[in-house]
Amino acid sequence: MSGRREHASSALLQPSMQQRVGRVVLIAAALLFLAGFLVLPVAAVFAQAFSQGWAMYRDSIRQEDVLSALRLTGLVACIAVPLNMLFGISASWAITRFDFHGKSLLITLIDIPLAVSPVVAGMMYVEVFGLHGWLGPWLSDHNFHVIFAVPGIVLATIFVTFPFVARELIPFMQAQGSDEEVAAVVLGANGWSVFWRVTLPNIKWALLYGTILAASRSIGEFGAVSVVSGHIRGQTTTLPLEVEMLYNEYSFTAAFAAATLLTLAAIVTLVLKKIIEATSGVHQQIEEKEAKS
Amino acid sequence: MSIQVEHISKQYGSFTALSDVSLTIESGELVALLGPSGSGKTTLLRIIAGLESPDDGSIRLHGEASTGHSASKRGIGFVFQHYALFRHMTIFENVAFGMRVQSRQLRPSRRNIRERVQELIHLVQLDSYAEMYPEQLSGGQRQRVALARALAVKPKVLLLDEPFSALDAKVRKELRDWLRRIHDDLHVTTVLVTHDQEEALEVADRVAILNQGRLEQTGTPQSIYDNPVSPFVYNFLGNVNLFHGRLLADLSSEGHADGTHEPIQTAIGFVRPHELELSRTLPLDGKAVVASVVRIHAAGPQVRLELSIAGSGRPVAAELGRKQFEELGLVAGDDVFVWPQSIRLFDDAEATALLLDQGAGI
Repeated sequence: MSGRREHASSALLQPSMQQRVGRVVLIAAALLFLAGFLVLPVAAVFAQAFSQGWAMYRDSIRQEDVLSALRLTGLVACIAVPLNMLFGISASWAITRFDFHGKSLLITLIDIPLAVSPVVAGMMYVEVFGLHGWLGPWLSDHNFHVIFAVPGIVLATIFVTFPFVARELIPFMQAQGSDEEVAAVVLGANGWSVFWRVTLPNIKWALLYGTILAASRSIGEFGAVSVVSGHIRGQTTTLPLEVEMLYNEYSFTAAFAAATLLTLAAIVTLVLKKIIEATSGVHQQIEEKEAKS
Repeated sequence: MSIQVEHISKQYGSFTALSDVSLTIESGELVALLGPSGSGKTTLLRIIAGLESPDDGSIRLHGEASTGHSASKRGIGFVFQHYALFRHMTIFENVAFGMRVQSRQLRPSRRNIRERVQELIHLVQLDSYAEMYPEQLSGGQRQRVALARALAVKPKVLLLDEPFSALDAKVRKELRDWLRRIHDDLHVTTVLVTHDQEEALEVADRVAILNQGRLEQTGTPQSIYDNPVSPFVYNFLGNVNLFHGRLLADLSSEGHADGTHEPIQTAIGFVRPHELELSRTLPLDGKAVVASVVRIHAAGPQVRLELSIAGSGRPVAAELGRKQFEELGLVAGDDVFVWPQSIRLFDDAEATALLLDQGAGI
């Protein structure tokens, strides 16, 4: 019996010549595809950015407009990401821990930003807050500008990044169940203690994971922000918009230099994501739970 | 602390989880709520704990109405079926949790918490595991931690929701004995929910049997076992044998149907496997049926026999002592005379106990 099993496994370990050739061809094709469509373009960005030398690259990045765009991007991310953490936690908590009417509607609403084109999202805000929109005149009377100003950019960014935290947390919290929280309540903990002592420690990795995705998207968002920003240099241009404007002005080196900053942000995101996956096993837990049920 | 359950009803949509259940649990008692799944036993426990609210009726803890008090204010220790330990905390921190979240005025000092936790960890015999995490422990150990955690806040009532059902048979038995010993030491009023009749009968002072949201019977394990009030209780407590219901009909029709029980057309009778007498010779009164031995299970203190009534082929289970079995010298395929020592009759339609018959007249 065991002899036969050994035989079977050794057959699996030592594939036939044909299988080996097939495997090599498939792997080579995948690698070639990756090289052609991913590695090469990223390398091209850096090559173009440094084509005029390091000094030129440095000067491009230190332009006042680029620095201002960088600051704005950072500011928007710093507002949008914490708010989305808050919304994401609240929504996931409500959806996974309580039963209420309209729950499935809420779940659908959370997904809307993923389904809607970012340009449409931006136009929705223009329609609501723009000078000719519903609330625009009233806001304008009170000297508060949303469209073509920073608040609009923040709103648009929150909209497009809204699903990331919640979508990461909901399956995770469903898999974990509410047993521990109920246990904490019976032991006398109030809602606040339950959240800080039991819920948050249990979801921290999934939360961090979702937050990183949201941060990455909020730094890179172009479409929705482009509609509401108005492209005022030094005031309402975020880094992705600045890259586009530089490019359209034929300042290729400067455009690519700014683009390297976004690329670096993306690479940092990927590395952080991998680290979190490895140390926490966030997705492993969900998969295990699903496998069990 | 005593618990009074007064006319509790609970409905989930169209499903009636509990309907007018009343039950009094005395201070220091260990009561088992026993019933099949869907009988409402867990719902009742959660209502006592304050985790669910009843549609109707009230819970009195020590004579004081507690309906409306939140779960955290009731002074209750709750042990869950799947332990529900805090996975990111060590065993020590798990046990300390209930004390750490108390309001500042009530919270014991750090030193007192430490001492109390150590005392409890010692009580559940996990001294060397204090700094480990739940996932490093076995199921039985985790449930002991859960019990220590529940006891840490000095609850007046301890509620256990199928605490041993996720464990394997041997560990379950150990923990059951151990729970009984702890209860005898601490004398905390305890309610245990279980679907395992053996567990309920063995560990509890009193057993309350629930069926489809109704309380069928309460009493000491022995009184319930000896005097079941309904076919359901009879069926649920004995070894699970559906043959009971049909046996009387068979015995009376193939035996002496002209006896005293003829008017009760729809009555069903119950005989436990160990209440069947077996013999190779016809008894003196001639009141017996012939059955053939289908299968013999001889591993264990009692020998279990699967019989088949001659003619109708109805299956019947019998149980006899090893010694008697050896005297009879039965092997599969043998024919044997069978008659009941005692039989319990229920009106089929009313499902109420009609009479207790000590085997006469059949």
